[in-house]
Amino acid sequence: MITLTDFMVVSVALFCIGLYMIISKHNAIQILIGIELILNAAILNLVAFGKYDKANNSGQIFALFAIVLAAATTAVALAIVLNVYRRYKTIDPNDINKLRD
Amino acid sequence: MEGFLHSIQILNYTVAAVTLPLLAALINFCLPVKSKAAGWVSTTAILLSCVLSAKVFVGVWNIQPVHAQHIWFTIGKTEVFAGMLLNNLSAFMLLLVSLIALPVHIYSTAYMKHDERYARYFTYLSFFCFSMLALVVVDSLVLFYAAWELVGFSSYLLIGFWFTKDKAVQANKKAFIMNRIGDIGLLTAIIILFAQYHTFDIDQLFAEKGLIAQSVINNGLWVAPTGQLPALWQYIACGGIFLAVAAKSAQFPLHTWLPDAMEGPTSVSALIHAATMVAAGVFLLGRVYPMFTETELTVLAVIGCLTAFMAATIALTQNDLKRILAYSTISQLGFMILAMGVGAYASSLFHLATHAFFKCLLFLVAGIVIHQMQHVKEDNNLDIDPQDISVMGGLRKKMPLTFIIAIVGGLALVGLPLTSGYLSKDGILIQAFEWSESRAGWFKIIPVMALLTSWLTAFYVARLIVKVFFGELRLLKNYPDIKLHINDGGWQYKVPLTLLAICCLFPLFSLHPLLYEQAWLFNGLKPSNFLVRENIYHTIIPAGVNILSLFVLYAAYAIYIKPNGFSFPQSGFFYRLSYNQWYIDDIYKRIIVKPVLWFGSACFWVDRKVIDGLLHWLTRISGFIATLSAWTDRHIVDGFLHLMAAIVQSIGNFARKFQSGKVQYYLFSMLVIVLALFILKILI
Repeated sequence: MITLTDFMVVSVALFCIGLYMIISKHNAIQILIGIELILNAAILNLVAFGKYDKANNSGQIFALFAIVLAAATTAVALAIVLNVYRRYKTIDPNDINKLRD
Repeated sequence: MEGFLHSIQILNYTVAAVTLPLLAALINFCLPVKSKAAGWVSTTAILLSCVLSAKVFVGVWNIQPVHAQHIWFTIGKTEVFAGMLLNNLSAFMLLLVSLIALPVHIYSTAYMKHDERYARYFTYLSFFCFSMLALVVVDSLVLFYAAWELVGFSSYLLIGFWFTKDKAVQANKKAFIMNRIGDIGLLTAIIILFAQYHTFDIDQLFAEKGLIAQSVINNGLWVAPTGQLPALWQYIACGGIFLAVAAKSAQFPLHTWLPDAMEGPTSVSALIHAATMVAAGVFLLGRVYPMFTETELTVLAVIGCLTAFMAATIALTQNDLKRILAYSTISQLGFMILAMGVGAYASSLFHLATHAFFKCLLFLVAGIVIHQMQHVKEDNNLDIDPQDISVMGGLRKKMPLTFIIAIVGGLALVGLPLTSGYLSKDGILIQAFEWSESRAGWFKIIPVMALLTSWLTAFYVARLIVKVFFGELRLLKNYPDIKLHINDGGWQYKVPLTLLAICCLFPLFSLHPLLYEQAWLFNGLKPSNFLVRENIYHTIIPAGVNILSLFVLYAAYAIYIKPNGFSFPQSGFFYRLSYNQWYIDDIYKRIIVKPVLWFGSACFWVDRKVIDGLLHWLTRISGFIATLSAWTDRHIVDGFLHLMAAIVQSIGNFARKFQSGKVQYYLFSMLVIVLALFILKILI
């Protein structure tokens, strides 16, 4: 029997892996992958908690929304990455510090 | 009224006579150093001085003393006067000094012709004449002291005139220091006299019925009309005067400066060391003569006699022409002091006058001879000393006039009849014998030594003249093919010499060539009590002295005329004693100069090691303190500030890290803060 706790553990692991990737990777694409992992951790939680909701399948529906939104943000982020690459000839966020000011 | 006008005139003349040389000195001081005009300025000044002095002399001599004074300054109730006192003594000295200075000035215009500092020489010479003339006319002991110092100072300048010669510098320092010793004595005496009599006035003090004449020494007290002091002070005052006289007139303990002072130009030697400066001591004695008691006079006589004898023996063996004359001067000054000591006051001053003429003459002759030898030396590049009489000889053919004049001067120095020296010197001898007559037996030694001295004088004079003028020029023996251009020199040499030579003969002083008692100068100067020709000394002494002197002269001539004849052994004790000038210089060097130098270097050591050492130590301490405070400032005060700055900076840096502009850092910081909040929440 798969309990809620097991879902939570997988979700935490996903979240942490995603967070780690976002913080430590030197490649914007990998960071995006990290973000996707975090999103997927959150979606997994929605689906897991949805089982205990009074309304039927509301969790799954929210998850679908979230997946769509994630796809949209990823598309935007990829466009940004492309533009960044055009401008800086690199996608390593360590080298891009114009955000400072 | 007429008398009053007369004195005013005399005073004006005197002031002019004294200040003219000073004026000349000032003018010459402003002229360029090489200016030939200087010689004529000085000579004109001294010529006018001489004429005025003659007028003063005629007006004062045996007529009436002139004494004028003006209040100088007042301290409390004591009024100090300054003025002039012209009596027989000072009027005659005034004339004598200017009369001797005149030929020396004329001579100097030629003698110093090629000198680099011609005008400076005449500046000094005129300044010297001024000091000497002022010395003889002033009436106050303070002024006298000032003039005395000026004489010492200007003689210092003149002796060291060729200051590039090391010997000249040594000599003028020596003369100056020796004179300073005498000055201390004079100053002491003046102070004591003032303490006793409350006046500096020479006339009041030393006049015939003056304060000194009225004071007596009684039971160890020195009683004067103005008060009384222990008798010791009187002895000290007389000792001080004696010290002053000994230093200026080159008497026994302090005579060593005079021979060394011959480093100056010869014309200077003629003026200073024969006729004027060294006579100042005798003049001082003449001024303060009433002060001396019987015993003190005896001391003077002994010292004078000793000096005369010693200097004469030294003169026997010297080879330096000027040195012989210098010792001869010391010897003759000894005679003068001796005369003062035995009470022959007038004879002493008479001898001063005659000696001034013939010694000046001899020095000028020496100057010419040295000048000519110098020319020979320079023309032929010889390595000789132009003053050494052992290279001279036979000069009588080359310079006949100089030769004749030297003979006249030499005979006057020996004191043969018909010369002025006879009149004055035999007077001294006779009176010395009479003086000893009334005293214990051993006092006879003094006149006998004086007698011996006058024979020694005859010997060294003959030696000098024979070696210089007779025989053949010994220089030719070593350098057979040298060129000689020796002559008498121009009129600037001949005229002064002839004038002085005439003054060396008897008619100037006495119409009778043999009797000194008839000399007008002698009679004008307070004659002593020995005037009457009462005893045998008045005949036997002049006769004996002169016959023996002639014999000595001939003996010396015979010895030195032959180039390889008899010569004295040069190794005996007496020869060495004489040649080394009785070792007095060596003794002084050993017992005074060396300890003084040692003391000086000890003081120097103390100064450098102890006093400077203390200072260095203080420097080091303050340096250390300074370093310490600098360290504190840098490391503690500044360090605190640096620490603050560093803290602020590190905080800033720490805060800045979060603003790195890197997305991941922002995210990481956010994560950390959130975690921190959670942890805090859990903990609290």
